[in-house]
Amino acid sequence: MIKIESLTFQYDGGGEPALRDISLDVEPGGFIGIIGPAGAGKTTLARAIGGMVPHHYKGDFYGSVIVDSMDTVENRMTDISRVVGTVFQDVESQIISSVVEDEMLYGLENFGIPRGEIEERLTFALRQVGIEDLRCRTIASLSGGQRQKVAIASIIALRPKVLLLDEPTGELDPGSSRMVFSLLKEMNERYGLTVIVIEQKIMLLSEFAKQLIVLNEGKIYCSGPVRQVLERAKELEGIGVNCPRVASLAISLKEAGCGEMPVCINVDEAETMVRGLLR
Amino acid sequence: MISLEKVSFGYGEGSSTVRDISFHIEKGEFVAILGANGAGKTTTVKLIDGLLKPTKGKVVINGLDTSKTRVSERARHVGFLFQNPDRQICRNTVREELAFGLETVKKDMSREDIDRRVGEVMESFGFSGDEEPFSLSRGERQRVALASVITVQPEIMILDEPTTGLDYRECSHIMDVISDMNRTMGTTVVMVCHDMEVVMSYARRALVMAGGRLLADGTVRSVFRDTELMLKASLLPPQITELSMRLGKGFENADTVGEMTARICSEMQVRRAGR
Amino acid sequence: MKDLFQYTAGNSVIHRMNPLTKILLAVCICAAGFISDNIFYLLFLLLLDMMIGLAAGVFKKALSILKGLLKVSIFLFILQVLFVRRGTPVFWIITDEGLMLAAKVVLRLIIACIPLALMLAVTQISDLANALVQVLHLPYKYAFTLTTSIRFIPQFMEEMGDIMEAQTARGVEFDTKNGLKKIGLVLPLCVPLLISSVRRTDATAVAAEVRGFELRTTKSGFKKYPFRLIDLAAFLICAALIAGAVLL
Repeated sequence: MIKIESLTFQYDGGGEPALRDISLDVEPGGFIGIIGPAGAGKTTLARAIGGMVPHHYKGDFYGSVIVDSMDTVENRMTDISRVVGTVFQDVESQIISSVVEDEMLYGLENFGIPRGEIEERLTFALRQVGIEDLRCRTIASLSGGQRQKVAIASIIALRPKVLLLDEPTGELDPGSSRMVFSLLKEMNERYGLTVIVIEQKIMLLSEFAKQLIVLNEGKIYCSGPVRQVLERAKELEGIGVNCPRVASLAISLKEAGCGEMPVCINVDEAETMVRGLLR
Repeated sequence: MISLEKVSFGYGEGSSTVRDISFHIEKGEFVAILGANGAGKTTTVKLIDGLLKPTKGKVVINGLDTSKTRVSERARHVGFLFQNPDRQICRNTVREELAFGLETVKKDMSREDIDRRVGEVMESFGFSGDEEPFSLSRGERQRVALASVITVQPEIMILDEPTTGLDYRECSHIMDVISDMNRTMGTTVVMVCHDMEVVMSYARRALVMAGGRLLADGTVRSVFRDTELMLKASLLPPQITELSMRLGKGFENADTVGEMTARICSEMQVRRAGR
Repeated sequence: MKDLFQYTAGNSVIHRMNPLTKILLAVCICAAGFISDNIFYLLFLLLLDMMIGLAAGVFKKALSILKGLLKVSIFLFILQVLFVRRGTPVFWIITDEGLMLAAKVVLRLIIACIPLALMLAVTQISDLANALVQVLHLPYKYAFTLTTSIRFIPQFMEEMGDIMEAQTARGVEFDTKNGLKKIGLVLPLCVPLLISSVRRTDATAVAAEVRGFELRTTKSGFKKYPFRLIDLAAFLICAALIAGAVLL
């Protein structure tokens, strides 16, 4: 679905390259979590996948990004965004209209979706995100979590093949954050949507994503299935990436000489592990 | 030090975002305010500093009623760190920014004293002083904002989601500085925070809010163990606490990775010896 | 203040008008106010403003705008009264003609300000932009600029409020009662405000771009904006207002 080959990018006027020699392959139907310390190039990588780099944010671009067999440099950002739906970090500024329904219509109208299909897509997206009741509300009257859902729904309505989100739960409380991730999981599992999400909350990524990419200083530090990456929890803490406490517990037990055990990614697994040890 | 008595607050007629809240915070405490979005946490901390005045009830901080005194007069005793550093920072270099805070609240302080204090803080944060705040990263800007609050040496620190949008390292740094002030200088800390792991690691007392009401007030460990309460406030306990509750007898109060590891090791030994 | 431009939902006669008609009506009331020299007609226009507010269910908003204009109005009134020398003196240096002129200036100011603000309160900006593009064939780029800048006003105000709050917390005396001092304190805050606004504008531009901003044409709207009977009636009222201003 997405193929990046030795991508190096440096913003105009920026001293250091934001991304260095990134290569990665995302299969259709993947659920990828991107994590890394501040300044690691996470947002730049997202922009490169969505075509904002180099079309909106200019700079020196080396290597190639192929999205659904389109080269992002040769194609317009508008064409790339038919495939990749992006939800940005700052919810506040990506909402263009003042009423939920208009916000939903905006992209649908622009991409020339036939009139007959618009209503169906609109209700589908609202239902998926669970905000049918908000359809006629003004954006100003919504809470942060509700606004985030509107932003996601307005992208889902466009039916992209890839859903790209930059820290979608930044301002949300733990409950709403989980809700957003459950929604992503459902879109991924039921509709085969490829999901790529940048997130600082490692606990959510560990539970919901299938694969993790850890970025550091513009490079891919490590990547692979979630468990495989979490095995390196100690190293990751060294570069400033947190790990779920239960993963640290497994590693700490291993170090204390309690035996070999696979890393755990949630409390259920940790419970099974401890009960196993005590049997 | 801080006391709220039957405090209510509403933005418009009839609406109320905080209802009938009472609590006292003594000097040197480290208190976390927990709750879902819209629970009234931010309103509560703004009420404490007097940025909002209660529509009902009374808020007393440092012996002064907030309704009768001005916020700006309190700034030398009360430091406020907001979620978004960009609202706090208003000078072009880090040095000017740090000095600005001091100049504003301690008008009688001499130039040399100001320079000395700014120098001290810059050194402990590792700033050269010539950095331009707006070209720094979000995490660095939050550190600048924190540094400028600390320069004033407030007796009370109020933090509104200070670690949102920061990575693990930045978050630990900010929290370590605050925790250090709390331990060494007895600074009172009141913090709104969504990250339960952070709350577990740093705070000692927790106030749990939902729908503008105060649901519970107790030690962090006891609050996280109250399953019904956590559900009501739509919160999740930290992973290790959850695990310790599920494991039950023999694992009470094991809330950190270290405690849990030690407990499991000793349980394993007991069982081995029993065999 | 910050909800001045916020849309107030409703289903009144005014709400149901075509967005362009609403704006035309507002502009006609303003124009009539400036053309007319008849104090009674001006008073009638003021009454009309308030009636529109009442009909559209935003009477409270109309009152609050009126209250907001009060200070400026009083200042303007006194200035006029003191500077107009013609006419017969009524009291000290105040003349009857001065009073009349001052009253008219103030009325015009109010008449000019209220209708536009009210119409914006009952029109969704996106509807206005869509109608401008579909009916008047305004290039979408301009319509987008219009909508985003109007949408930014409340956000801008909110941001300003938040910055002032944060500065008060660190000891800057925004809670002073001295207005002049406050203005002096606000100036240095323009830098952070500007920076956050530029960031925000850029973010909005990208968000629009990835949702097909460039593809939008005059035919893109899902909602259509035909002129109906209400609009026809409004046009007649507009014509009558202007005619009244010229004739009376």
